[in-house]
Amino acid sequence: MKASLKWLVELLPELSKLSADDVAKKLTFAGLEVEGVTPFGAGTEGCVVAKVVSFRPHPTKSGLRLVTVDLGEGTQEIVCGAPNVPDAGGLVVLAKLGAYLPAKDMTIARREIAGVVSEGMLCSESELGLSEESAGILILPPGTGNPGQSLIEAIPHVRDTVFEINITPNRPDGLGHVGLARDLAAVLGVAFAPKRAPTFGADDVPLDVDVKVVDQDRCPEFSTARAVGITIAPSPLAWRYRLLALGVRPISNLVDITNLVLLGHGQPMHAFDLAKVRGRAIVVRTAAEGEPFTTLDGVARKLSKDDLVVCDGEGPVALAGVMGGENSEISASTTEVLFECAYFDARGVRRTGRRHGLHTEASHRFERGTDPGGLEAALATAVKLTLEVVPGAKLSPPRYVTGATANTTPRELTTKVVSLRSSFMTRLLGIAVPLSDARGILERLGCTVHASGEGALDVALPTHRPDLSREVDLVEEVIRVRGIDTVPTELPPVRGSRAVGGREALEHSVRRAAASVGLSEAITFRFTSAKALADVFAKEATVVLENPINEHQTVMRTSLLPGLLESLAQARRHGVRSAGLFAVGPVFLPSKNDLPEERPELFAVLVGDRAAYLEKPAPVDAWDAKGVALALVAALTGKEPEVVTYTASERPAYMHPRAAAKLLLGSTVIGSFGLLHPDVGDKYDFAEALPFISLDLPTLAKHPRAPRYKAIPKFPASPRDLALVVHDDVPAGQVKAAILASAGPLATDVELFDRFTGGANIPKDHASLAFRVIYRSDERTLTDAEVEKAHAKVVKEVEERFGATQRK
Amino acid sequence: MTSSGTAEAAKEEIELALSAFHSTFVEAFAAAPTEQVLRDEKAKLLGKNGSLTAILKRMGALSADARKSVGERVNALKTEVEAAFDARLREMVAEKRKAELEARPFDLTLPGRNPIGDGHIHPISQVRADVIEIFRGLGFAVFDGPDVEHEANNFTKLGFPPDHPATDMQDSFWTKSRHVLRTHTSNIQVRAMTTVKPPMAFIAPGTVYRRDDDATHSPMFHQLEAFLIDENVSLAHLRGILSEFAERMYGPGTPIRLRPSYFPFVEPGAEVDVGCVFCKQPDGKRKGCSVCKHTGWIEILGCGMIHPVVFEHCGIDPEKYTGFALGMGLDRVAMLRYDIPNIKLLFDNDPRFLAQF
Repeated sequence: MKASLKWLVELLPELSKLSADDVAKKLTFAGLEVEGVTPFGAGTEGCVVAKVVSFRPHPTKSGLRLVTVDLGEGTQEIVCGAPNVPDAGGLVVLAKLGAYLPAKDMTIARREIAGVVSEGMLCSESELGLSEESAGILILPPGTGNPGQSLIEAIPHVRDTVFEINITPNRPDGLGHVGLARDLAAVLGVAFAPKRAPTFGADDVPLDVDVKVVDQDRCPEFSTARAVGITIAPSPLAWRYRLLALGVRPISNLVDITNLVLLGHGQPMHAFDLAKVRGRAIVVRTAAEGEPFTTLDGVARKLSKDDLVVCDGEGPVALAGVMGGENSEISASTTEVLFECAYFDARGVRRTGRRHGLHTEASHRFERGTDPGGLEAALATAVKLTLEVVPGAKLSPPRYVTGATANTTPRELTTKVVSLRSSFMTRLLGIAVPLSDARGILERLGCTVHASGEGALDVALPTHRPDLSREVDLVEEVIRVRGIDTVPTELPPVRGSRAVGGREALEHSVRRAAASVGLSEAITFRFTSAKALADVFAKEATVVLENPINEHQTVMRTSLLPGLLESLAQARRHGVRSAGLFAVGPVFLPSKNDLPEERPELFAVLVGDRAAYLEKPAPVDAWDAKGVALALVAALTGKEPEVVTYTASERPAYMHPRAAAKLLLGSTVIGSFGLLHPDVGDKYDFAEALPFISLDLPTLAKHPRAPRYKAIPKFPASPRDLALVVHDDVPAGQVKAAILASAGPLATDVELFDRFTGGANIPKDHASLAFRVIYRSDERTLTDAEVEKAHAKVVKEVEERFGATQRK
Repeated sequence: MTSSGTAEAAKEEIELALSAFHSTFVEAFAAAPTEQVLRDEKAKLLGKNGSLTAILKRMGALSADARKSVGERVNALKTEVEAAFDARLREMVAEKRKAELEARPFDLTLPGRNPIGDGHIHPISQVRADVIEIFRGLGFAVFDGPDVEHEANNFTKLGFPPDHPATDMQDSFWTKSRHVLRTHTSNIQVRAMTTVKPPMAFIAPGTVYRRDDDATHSPMFHQLEAFLIDENVSLAHLRGILSEFAERMYGPGTPIRLRPSYFPFVEPGAEVDVGCVFCKQPDGKRKGCSVCKHTGWIEILGCGMIHPVVFEHCGIDPEKYTGFALGMGLDRVAMLRYDIPNIKLLFDNDPRFLAQF
């Protein structure tokens, strides 16, 4: 909502004592947030009214003229390129030397134009910053000020300050200047009594139109007045600039009147060309299903039976509360007008607006709730403005229509009375506001207040505040106007709660663990597409969006993989070769409940080369994935999971057939690692097979880290190294397990510390595996003989079982 | 010899050459053992010195008529070569892929490589953890909730009537089964109030969704909500918690200010600004900077007293209990803290971005 400071000052003269910034601050801290303060017509500062005395062509330059203007205390010759210089006596605007025109970012200086000196410039509206575009210089109507008078004195409305206010949807009263002024008055602590336009109406002009409201639920209040003797003309400049300042295009006097009422009272109005109203009748009813109607914007529409329409004797002339019809539009030849000023049900207008994709200044206000008690004042203003600018216009007395009955006065609306208890207010605010202060504030906002026994007020709610309905609303009004920053700061005694769910804590411990093993966290969108899921062989989505924002975000993910791969692929396109990213968060799965299961997972993918120190970088592989997986599980559970290679039948399709293993704690699978299937990498243009790690967090959470102290060994270890040559299809883990099993209780640890193939002593298809076996007892220092005996068993076992030979 | 005679001879020569290799390239392609050999075979025909290329070069010697008919044949042949080449290449890629998949499995029993730890937690997660830590210190505990939510928990019970213009602020994603992707973490207020008896002090961090996607909005973003419900919770208490939060988050002495605002589920409602941390002077004054748009204040959250209608919808007596709620956008808090200019950067996950935090 744009608001004019000048208009606010007219409504509330006390504001003239404040600067524009102070007014903005008052509005903001009353909950009417000012988002911008912009000057209007700043270019008019150094401008005066000038009267054309004569003009002649420029001696050398065609298209230019030398215009002599009267400036009161003398004349001056100005070079002017505009084609529309008026004849002698016409009034124009001269920007004097030194005037600054912000719209052109130009300061008027003495200039020589083709040999003629010009000390000023005759200006157009756009040069003055008054309108976006203009054809030729501004010509003022006769009688506008005196030659030499400052333009701002002659037409005060050319200069204003405009506030851009973010009106929250609960405050429809703030969508008109009267409502804004009322709030400011309440904040300043002054009474607000807007001047009521006088009652009007010549009885010799009857309404002469049959008005009937059929759907009273959708249109509880309807008022109207007829104006005859109308001449359509442009509005006076004062109106023109007020509308332009507020971003509204001036159209013609009668249309501008309805717009000024809308901007002033927040009450949308409509003016019908009565000559085009068939049958001299107005009926407010819901449309027939499919009824055709062409709105003012030229769009032919099919109406719904839920649309409220204002009709004449034959059919719709307006989509009630939203937009008028082409058929009854005001035109240059209009001589007789019917004003409509009504209260339409907010939700109905909203439905109609949505249905037809229309959002207008009128519907914006109606759908937030206009003032059902404000018709009389709005209509009176419209009439007053009509009489002001249309000489010879005559108005009928207003008629207020309820159903089929027309009255000369609006009906009394019942107002809700709400009790405000001092105790409730104190309890909620934490500060005791004197009831008399509360009363003053509420009265200034338009409530009718009576004391109700000890420590309470009975507050009759005003019709212009549809957002007020209960006690707490009144407390808010009091503190909003009084200043929310007047509430003290006090730490509450917090009676704490216990965490519910634990997902966030779990996810964060996983994040910390993942970062500690070298991975960086990606936050990827939780929606993805069915295709992206299919590309990574993920489960089909069960949560499908009804109204996705684009084709890439149509379903909730069942896998974290697409988001991660997308991030990594993008990084690679941007020249980042190596990275390890993880994502933690839910996948969305079917469940027995109404809502889907949101199951938190960790997924990590490595690309490129592993970190290397002064050596040639080598690409990451499945053993990097294994290292990360085991380190993660160790960090989170304190345990080393069993690594079991997937069989072909149970291996998920996104995993590489040659490198896919599950991680087990006891008999439960807590995750997996390996390489992604190359077909998955293909989809994201990765030529190499990417190592991945995945963990199922709910299962992992069942194995919380619970370290128990184990005695630190007191006796020295006796290590023995064992270099074996075995066929290279023997899994090293099997050899290791066999060593451990055969060495007996004295062997506490076995470590594979070297593996190589090729070389002079290694046969083809064989590998050398070097193990270090740690022998140790908790009770004594072992003798060499004991160790050798145990070790000999190991050697025998591996030779027999794996056909291994010892490498000497 | 006349020139037409020359053209005639050239034509014969060309036709001979065409029929000569016509049948051979399919076999040659099929026999190619490697991609390189395949490419070499193709180059023999279509390369710079390829035989088909050579024929094309000699077309100038032909008569116009012959040039047309021979040209058509040459082009058809060229297409045929390309197609055969592509087919064979696809076959080779498939063979290679098959071999790769069927080769001996990697020995995953070999020990894993010890990872090197220089990973980074996402800035949003870091900020969330810090905010959670602060509220834990003030006595609040985390209450988790789902992203896919019942309409009642996200809207109705919070006091959004159907059709109300407040839903203008909440243009939401709906699922086919008529659930909503939560538009705020306030759904947790409803979940807590309908399952836990007051008093309660909870924080609800979460991912939320709105149908906005432009320079300053992401359709998915992150919020954190805190709420306290007890017998005499007041606006003064809310200020107390806000002030404490501001000082713990942004440093001792950080001022706050409240501006009345509107959220359907609180009353009174307010937006909260904290003193700008970027232009703070040693004396605690703010001189104004581009981050705070020269106001000295930065808006960080919305808050208010829980609306009695929410209590009523959740079966809590608003005459007995009062409470406050506050909510902030973690993305914005992170952007402010780390001077991140664009919300999109948060979700691009560029490793060079992540490594900075």
